[in-house]
Amino acid sequence: MMSHDEASELLAVAALHAVDAETLAAIDEHAATCPRCQSELDSYRVVASALGNSVEELPEGLWTNISSQLWERKGEPSEMPALQIDGVHADVVAIDSAARSSRRLRTAVGAIAFAAAASIVVLALTLSNAQNHVTNLEGALQSANRSVVQRALTMPGHQIVDLTNASNRRLAEFVMLPDGTGYLVKSNMPALTPNDTYQLWAIVKGSPVSIGVMGSSPGQVTFTMDSSPGPSELAVTVQPAGGSLTPAKSFVASGPVVAS
Amino acid sequence: MEDIREVSDAQLVTMIARYNEVALAETYRRHGGAVFGLARRVLNGAAEAEDVTQEVFLRLWNQPERFDATRGNLRGWLLTQSHARAVETIRSLTARRQREINDAHKAARGAYDMQHEAWDVVLAEDVKKALGELPPEERRAIELAYFEGYTYIKVAEILNEPEGTVKSRIRNGMRRMRATLVESGIEGADR
Repeated sequence: MMSHDEASELLAVAALHAVDAETLAAIDEHAATCPRCQSELDSYRVVASALGNSVEELPEGLWTNISSQLWERKGEPSEMPALQIDGVHADVVAIDSAARSSRRLRTAVGAIAFAAAASIVVLALTLSNAQNHVTNLEGALQSANRSVVQRALTMPGHQIVDLTNASNRRLAEFVMLPDGTGYLVKSNMPALTPNDTYQLWAIVKGSPVSIGVMGSSPGQVTFTMDSSPGPSELAVTVQPAGGSLTPAKSFVASGPVVAS
Repeated sequence: MEDIREVSDAQLVTMIARYNEVALAETYRRHGGAVFGLARRVLNGAAEAEDVTQEVFLRLWNQPERFDATRGNLRGWLLTQSHARAVETIRSLTARRQREINDAHKAARGAYDMQHEAWDVVLAEDVKKALGELPPEERRAIELAYFEGYTYIKVAEILNEPEGTVKSRIRNGMRRMRATLVESGIEGADR
């Protein structure tokens, strides 16, 4: 790693991108661990941005080109987060590009073909306790398309649930509506072997209540909960395929239900 | 529902993280001209500048978490991205194309002083002042590095000066401009 003195000398030229890519990466790497250099670099970047802050009329058609590519996100398998369950490295397999790109999935209107192969939630479990009843978990392909999820994110009273793992890495985001409907907004959950499945849980009054299984590589998920009071948290576990009545392992990820 | 034009830049990025295409379109409306303008300035070509602009907005769409609102504003971040991509592009072009671009830059400067050219493309008054007040040798080193995409080592070669001297000139010039911006109250320069 570049020393503090070396990096410090190069911050101004780095802000102008007047170093080669390798040097810039080394400076950025140092700055990430050195608040003083990071602050200095950021301040030079403000200067550089001000220098370049001129406005030109945008070419016709450029936005069309950009918007046409929004849903063609590429995936790099190396970016897949490692899955740790109870401190044991799980047997993680790469998710194929169609299944792991939730954005692409949501836009693939009529993509019935991969519905079965991917990650559509089917309510496999019907559970109840004295006060809570989770029902109507359904296959989501017909309804959980991109526009539905987007609309949910603009609905009054929607709640966001960020599910993070023990390392505080966000593995999934759900949106929940006041009527109990919920959608998976995005997922970084790595694919499991076919013998395992992700299972979604609502934490109601401190107790986990199964919402349902999400398959081995969740892409689209829609569920409806009939629960009063509503859950304080959502959580995900990895269970044997088919799911379990009680969470057999510790949570892979969890997060509070908060008003947006 | 709140008018998208009333939404703050930070909120737009949050919406983009939730796959809101309208938010990206609004971000493009607000900042696309600046992103394109800077890329065009560095590359001296509309086609390459369009590619850079496209890349910058697609990157924002795919990796919105890379923008950290605590470290600067969205316009600044997008311009940094635009400049980085433009510099990458110009450095990857063939030597011949590079020469053509450099010649075009020289022709432009011959016809119109670079300092004044910059004035006309809507640089903020304070930035104009800051750059204009720099000693000529500092200003020239910064212009070659920033607007023409040269490394400071190459700038030293062009100016026939030691690398250390050029590095110092750029640093000193940047510090002077930063001080001017701080005095003007430009957010983020006073870190």
